[in-house]
Amino acid sequence: MSCFEGQLAGWVAPVHPTTVSEAQTIAGLVAEYSTALYRVAFSVTRNPAEAEDAVQETFLRVLRHESRLGEIRDYRVWLVRIVWNIVLDKKRRAKTRPEGEDLADHARALPSGDRPADASVISSQENARILALVDRLPAREREAILLSAVEELTTAEIAAALGTTESSIRSRIFRARKELALLLEKEGIPR
Amino acid sequence: MKSAVEPENDPRIVAAIDAALSSVGAAEPASGLQGRILMRLAAERMKMDAAPARFPLFGRSSGVPVRALGVLTCCLLAFVIVAGSVSHSRHIKAGQAVAPPVLVLPAQGIGAASAVHPAAPATAPLPAGQGARGRSVHRTGRARIAPHARKAPGVAVPAPSSNNSQN
Repeated sequence: MSCFEGQLAGWVAPVHPTTVSEAQTIAGLVAEYSTALYRVAFSVTRNPAEAEDAVQETFLRVLRHESRLGEIRDYRVWLVRIVWNIVLDKKRRAKTRPEGEDLADHARALPSGDRPADASVISSQENARILALVDRLPAREREAILLSAVEELTTAEIAAALGTTESSIRSRIFRARKELALLLEKEGIPR
Repeated sequence: MKSAVEPENDPRIVAAIDAALSSVGAAEPASGLQGRILMRLAAERMKMDAAPARFPLFGRSSGVPVRALGVLTCCLLAFVIVAGSVSHSRHIKAGQAVAPPVLVLPAQGIGAASAVHPAAPATAPLPAGQGARGRSVHRTGRARIAPHARKAPGVAVPAPSSNNSQN
């Protein structure tokens, strides 16, 4: 955590001495999980601004329920579940797929590499096309494959977040990849 | 010619899927995400601290749980309903009370078994037919009652038929 964020964490700390540790816990959660949560949100929204909003909303909910922080056994799973519900709820309310996504945004969100810009954009477009096919998968398979894409999450954590078993998650991912491959073969992939 | 390799095992397809998924799973947020989150949390905390408590007598700080308020309200409501119902039933006026059936005990005979039971006043019989009585039968076999149908007061007595009078 940077010096600036450390100061902010101190600012977050309230006057009541009993909740100082809770504020510190929240600041620690932000430092540790914000990137992973951003990726979870981004996997659904495909929009950097919306993904960031969802992460902020997640931590606001944590703040509102800070008295229950002591009861949480696995923070990562708990937070993933919160952000997952938030993004799904937003998507349900919007009733639209991420069709309005801006490819420039998408390219901006990609990890910077040493590839030329045009190659990155072409690759981004191709990825967007495949992700559009992911959106056509059944909900359970889609959720499993999107969460499995997030680097920080293990199969056990995905299973806990979705309220199912690890074996179920593995079979969902297998089915999703198989169906996705079939769709991709039908649509044709560029060489 | 169709490829012998299954699509899910085709290395090109597998690579394309992996690339698309990793573009999502390894997305990097704009720099300063943590700072922005902490700023927003700080603003929210100040707002929460500034807002007056809605139920100062209840809540964690007062030691009286909010659930107690709900339970108390339910008990009070139940008491009001029961008390009102009992009070209403005790205040029925004499004129509103239903008259007991008339029983004329005979001078001879034993008790009520041989008593005269006057019949209820006769009323006009209902017209024949389900439809005329405001009722009909749906094709599924279930009876249907028309919304305008009204039940006649008293007991219906069939009109004397012409066959009976001849016999």
